[in-house]
This record gives sequence, C-alpha cells and structure tokens, in this order.
Amino acid sequence: MTTRLELDDMQGLLARGYGSLPYATFLLLGIDDAAAARSLLARWADVLTDAAARPADDAVNVALTADGIAALSPGRGIPAGFSEQFASGMTTAYRSRLLGDLDDDDPRGWRWGGPTTAPVHVMVLVFARTEELLADRCGRLADQAAGHGLSVVDRLETGRLGLTEPFGFHDGISQPPLEGLGSGDGRGDPVRAGEFVLGYPNEHDQLTARPLLPVADDPRSLLARDHATGLADLGRNGSYLVVRQLRQDVEAFWSFTEAATRTPDGRPDAAASQQLAAKMMGRWPGGAPLVLAPERDDPALAAENDFGYHATDPRGMACPLGSHVRRANPRDALEPRPGTEQSLAINRRHRLLRRGRSYGSAERGGETGLYFMCLNANLARQYEFVQHSWLNNPTFNGLYDEPDPVVGPRRAKGTYFTTPARPVRRRYADLPQFVHVRGGAYFFLPGIRALRYLAERPHRPTTGRD
Amino acid sequence: MPHQVAVTVRAPIADGRGGDLSRLLASIRRQGAGHNDVLPIGDLPGVHFARLFVLEETADLDGAELPACLFYMADVDGSAERHLRDLSTVTGHGVDALFEHCDGYPEAPTATARVAWLRDHQVAPAATYVHAVGRSVDQVHQEARLREAIEQFVDRPAAIPSQLTAVEAHGRIRAFATERDDLLWSVRPAPRPGLRFRVGEAIHRVALPLLVLCLLPVLVPVVLVAALRIRLAERRDVPETGPPAAEHAHELERHEDFVAQNSFTAVGFVKPGKLRRMTMRAVLIGLDYADRHVYNRDNLAGVRSIHFARWVPIDDGRRLVFCSSYDGTLESYMDEFIDRLAWGLNAVFSNGVGYPRTRWLLFGGARDETAFKNYLRRHQVANPVWYSAYDELPARNVDTNARLRADLARDLDEQGAEAWLAVV
Repeated sequence: MTTRLELDDMQGLLARGYGSLPYATFLLLGIDDAAAARSLLARWADVLTDAAARPADDAVNVALTADGIAALSPGRGIPAGFSEQFASGMTTAYRSRLLGDLDDDDPRGWRWGGPTTAPVHVMVLVFARTEELLADRCGRLADQAAGHGLSVVDRLETGRLGLTEPFGFHDGISQPPLEGLGSGDGRGDPVRAGEFVLGYPNEHDQLTARPLLPVADDPRSLLARDHATGLADLGRNGSYLVVRQLRQDVEAFWSFTEAATRTPDGRPDAAASQQLAAKMMGRWPGGAPLVLAPERDDPALAAENDFGYHATDPRGMACPLGSHVRRANPRDALEPRPGTEQSLAINRRHRLLRRGRSYGSAERGGETGLYFMCLNANLARQYEFVQHSWLNNPTFNGLYDEPDPVVGPRRAKGTYFTTPARPVRRRYADLPQFVHVRGGAYFFLPGIRALRYLAERPHRPTTGRD
Repeated sequence: MPHQVAVTVRAPIADGRGGDLSRLLASIRRQGAGHNDVLPIGDLPGVHFARLFVLEETADLDGAELPACLFYMADVDGSAERHLRDLSTVTGHGVDALFEHCDGYPEAPTATARVAWLRDHQVAPAATYVHAVGRSVDQVHQEARLREAIEQFVDRPAAIPSQLTAVEAHGRIRAFATERDDLLWSVRPAPRPGLRFRVGEAIHRVALPLLVLCLLPVLVPVVLVAALRIRLAERRDVPETGPPAAEHAHELERHEDFVAQNSFTAVGFVKPGKLRRMTMRAVLIGLDYADRHVYNRDNLAGVRSIHFARWVPIDDGRRLVFCSSYDGTLESYMDEFIDRLAWGLNAVFSNGVGYPRTRWLLFGGARDETAFKNYLRRHQVANPVWYSAYDELPARNVDTNARLRADLARDLDEQGAEAWLAVV
C-alpha cells in the first residue's frame, strides 16, 4: 500500500533538506499591504521549488504563520480546520508552559516571534549552492518583498551546512524513512506519508485533520477536492513547519563535562570529558551510536542508524536512558513491550522530519546555535509530544529529575543526569542549561495550489457588518 | 493498611449562587488546593487526589432541566465515612463555605449535621480503578523519601566501591538503611489491606463469575440478541464531528500541565433506551470486576499512567461522569487510550451520545484518532480545583519506589541484585 505523492504540488522542503545547497537564509517578513503581498505570493507560487525538482543552484520555499494567513485576507481570519496549536501559535501562556519556554526562554525575551517583537507573517526559505548565489537570490526576493507591501522583520543567516552541529557532534543522522519518497535512512518500516504531508494516510491509516473549505469558498477551483467530502482541500500536500532558534552555549557544555570528569587530584581528563558528553548525547562526536560503540568513537559507525535499544541495552549501560538521542527517538525502548513491533509502531507516531541548519561559528565568536526546523502533520502528537513528553519530561521512561541533558530546560529543584553502571549508577547533579530559545513560530508550509489559493482567497463581500 | 475508596459528593447549586461559587473555587485554585483558607485538602489525612468542579445547568435528551451541580471527589485511604468525618471536623468551615451555595445546606451546622448532609449527597461509582490497591498516601511519601536517602547515600564518593558485586552493593545499601532510625521501617514489608477487606474481595472475586456461570443459559441468548440490536442501533448513531470550541479548549488548557500529573473529568449523556443503559451497566460491572481483581497492581490493561479513575452514573443513569488522575499530557493519555484500550473505551463510552462510530460495541470508535480526541475534549469539564498528594511522581515512579523498598530487605541473588540496583 504505497502512497503516491503529488510531488509537483508539494514544496521541496518536504522531500529534501537541500543537502547539496549548503548555504541558506530564512527571511522573516511582515505584511503591511495585503493586496500587494497577495499578488507577490501568487507569483512566488509559480516559481518556488517543488518536491519533484532536484535543484542544482538554488531553492526557494514559502511558509506562513496563522497571523500571516489572516493578514493576507483582512477581516476573514484564518480558515477553519487548521490545528488549534497552529491557529493560536507558539507563544500562548499555555504553550510556553507545555514547551518549557519559561524564565530565560520566555517568548517575551525572544529575538523574533515573541509578543514584544514585530509580527512574523511569512518565512521565505532560500537555499543556494554558493554564497554568491544565495546573496543574489535573497537580494532579489527582499527587493520584491519591499516592492509588494512586505517588510523584512528579520533575516536568519545560517552557517555553511556541514556535518556537525555547534557542540561538535555529527548531526542529522536519523531521519524517518518516508513512505513514497525512498528517502531517509535506516531500514525498518517507512513512516506513512500522512505523518508529514497532509492529505495522505497517517500511521493510524487515517487522514489527519486539516482545513477543508466549502466549495463556495473556492469558486475558481484552485484547490483539489477531498475525495470523501467533496470539500476544497486547503491542507493537501501541506505540512506544519516548526521553527525554533536555539542558542547553544558551547563553552558551558564542554566546561561542564570537563569539570565533572576531573581526576581525583583535579587534573582535566579529556577522554573522560568526551565520554561524558557522548553519554549525554547518546552518540559520539563522530556519530557512532553508544549502543553499538559503548567504549570509544568508531568512524565506521558514523552514519549508523539501523539499531534498537532493548535487546542489547535495556538498562542503558551503554547508552543512558536519559541521553538526548534515546529520548528524541527512543526506537524500540518504550512501553508497551519494549523490543517489539508494538513499541516501534508507537515510536513511528512521534517522528519529525528535521530540516534545521546551524548558525554562527565558535571560531568567529558571537552566538552559535541551531535553527531547529521540523515538519509534521500533527503538531500535538508529533512536535509538541516529543518536546514535552520525551525531551523536557524529568520523569521520561521512569527517570527522576532528568530532563534532556543536552537540550532540556532546567528545574528549580535541580537537574540530574545518570549514567547506569555496575555495580551502581553514577549521577551528575546541577546540570546547567546549555540550549536557550531565542525565537520561534509555527508555520504552515502550504501545497503549491494551496499557496496560490491563499494568495487569491476571495474577500468576503463588504456588507458593513463584518 | 487501608484500602482506597472513591468518595463523590454531589449537590445542586442554589439559584443565583453559581457566580459566587465559581469565584470561591477560583480563590482556592489561586492559593493552591493543598493549602488555602477555604478547604486546605492537604490537611486531611489519607487523601491521594481530590477535585472540585461544577457541571453547568443543562437539559437532558427529553428536554427536562438538569440543575447546575457542585461535585467534590476524593480518592482516599480508609473509608468514605471516615473521610466525610475528617472533612467535617478538620475543614468544617470550608465545607460550609462551599456547600452553602447548594440547595438545602443547613445553616451553621454541627459537625454531625455536616457529615449527615454530605452522606446524603454521596453518589456511588459504578466502577473504580486504583493503580495499586492497598498503597496508602503515607506509604507513597515514605517510599519517596527512602529513594532520596538511598540516592544521596549512593552519591557519596566511597559509598559503593566499584569492585563490589551487586549482592554486596545491595547489602551496603541495606546496612545504610538499617543504621538510620528514620528508615528502619523500610526493611519491613509494607502492610497489606485489612483482613476484612481482603476476605470481602476474595468472595467478590469468586461470586461474580459463579453468578455469571449460573445465569449462562439465560445470558447467552440475551447477549446475542443485545449484540444484534446494538449493531442495528449503531448504524443509526450520529457521531459528533469537529473540534471543541476554541474558548472551551483554552479554558481546559488553563488548568493543565503544571505538574507531572493532570486531572481528567468528562460527562456525557447515555444514549436513550433501555438497551444502551443496560449495556453500559453490564460493561461497568465487568470493568469494575477487572479493576478490582486483575488490574489492581500497576496497570489498567497495559496503561501504567493512571493513578485513580472512576465511572459515576448520575441522574438515574441518564448521564455518566468519568474522572481520572493521570500522568503526562492529555495528548499522551489519549494516545495510550487509542493504542491499548480502544475496545474497553468503546464498550463503555459508545453508549454515550455523540461517540465516534463503533461496530459491534468494541470495534472502530476510539480507533478514529481525530474523532476520538475531539470527542473527549468536547466532553471534558474543567477542574477548577484539583489536589494531588504527590504531584511530581508518575505512577510508574511510585511503583519503582515501592519495588526499591520491597526488595531492600530481601536476600537477592546476583541477577536480582543487579536488577534492583538498576532502579536506584
């Protein structure tokens, strides 16, 4: 039962992270003049990079926030049927509590996307093969925007795409194999397309809720019709794009592991420091998973993604239960019945298609971090669940007082990290926070027809009552 | 050691007093359910969980008016009678302050009059679930302290030298606990529920199946006919569609995800007709039996994240209230339902109006993820006041603590000691 994807109506970001285009900038735009912005988005819908294309030089994708969709059609709000999480946005009081965006990570202190900064309506994701191409493409897009009632709120410049993230670990190894695309790595069952692309069957063999409009709202038939209901399918071939700017405190991370692993006479022990860092991550800096390479890094296993936890390491002696990768993607480690297809099936309902890029560089000083980006069809069951119930959860998988040792926020009552060992575990106390949230928003990455529709969405006749 | 009981008090709110009452509830909530100047639930002995909520005025399926009601619910050690007495003596003024908003509450009642009034307003659940029958609040707290003490001991640099075997390490930790006067209790086994309770449960355990066995010749045809009639009725069911109103969803969110646990309360009408009402009753009898005799140790059909739950029919069985205290977010709770309990949920809740479409009572229904999640959210009622005696401890961790204590005094072999040390 392989699903055939309508690649030419999907934006390219769903099919690929544009690994061959190592330079990227994300333009955050605000809509000042709806009519002018609509005409530009309609034009962009014709030229942006779809999932069928294999761009050699550059790629452009476009996503909108709920505020952006509303701003495009003044007086109409956003169409019904978008998920509640998307409609109310990433920065409500409840969502901040759920996502752990409190204290220093409070949206009120964000660089962008928070309540104190200019509203973000549109994000243009620009990818290019060279720095020159990127500058050229961004310049032209920014000029077009400026000429069409859109102002640049912020410009997220990424670093050249490499293999490692700022802490120095090989990144982006594990991606869910996506049904119908043949991408992703690791064996095992592919994840149903509907987990990432709206309008296709998901892991429950059902269609995720999405905006379906009365046909009267689509008189020019810009949108495909939903088979079951005949309604105009605004969600089809679209996805929700989560963007979070995460500042990584590289200095604090490595100082912590160094201080925690000094020899009894107080001398630093570089190997032990690196081993603790690897235990916290669950992979060695080179990428080898600890569950397969418990003692030292192994270049031969750098991109290894075909493994489980339960059979070889049920208690986390090799890869701690609390380590970052074992909670971001627990594979077969969770109940019910760890090690079985049942456990894997549940894991498949909480996968994210990651598309992040890092920014800044440790050598040049200044801030470094990650523009975390992921695509999913169900924000509540996928992104928010992973963030809250797996990463930030201090009692994840039976642990005590242990949010994610690398990316999690810290708790007033103290944060621990435990490395299981014989005869007894070793417990590290008072972990500082290494990752800080600096901005973020939920976007809708529409299908191409859907983008055209949003750009040409009919205005409600002015009756004077609106 | 006491067993656990579910106390429910329900009282119709007097005309025009609803606004005052909700302000009072908000004030309790602001101050915290455990310690406040109205009803400091933390001062009452033996309370695991408690909640106060209001079911707003509505009309039943025939259009008859159902008044707004205040509910007090608690999961307590011991007996309902003792808890009502504690409420009336320890927090008498709070009980007065709350229930004086209700019809017929006596003016300046004595403690005895208060108990009598509360007793008169009790509602019996049709089924209850207790995560670990017999484990008291005190035991949960004690065992959590034991864990902290052991963790801190093991953290000491030379406490457990690395060349020790698992058996030796286990011995060191036991020696540590025995040397501490405040931990001496931990090397004795946890007390079991009272003899009378255990005998009663043993009789119930046997009696119900025996009764069913005796009635089998009657039951089989009845069940077959009922099944066919339900299947026919299911085809005419009208499932509700669409998500809850945004305001309702936001009101629910306002009370959720502050601690490791959450409370869930939902209410719905039972489908009209005798068939559905009888079916629900029968299913709840079976469910209560399973909860009491099968799922009484650490899980409900594989779900380990529920501390307490109850199913309470009200209004002569025309409505059903479901309540639970559970770990994690509602999203993860609903996912566990769908993954592990769909058939059980269907059997009970498909007798409710608007439930996602089922087939043969057990199939479909909750397996429709979107429809099921929307249904629960739509029927959920906000709990303005909710109390947990151990709100940072998931049930699974409570179990781990109990295991830590249970095997502390036991002589373990190397393998057993290794497994035990793995939960330290």
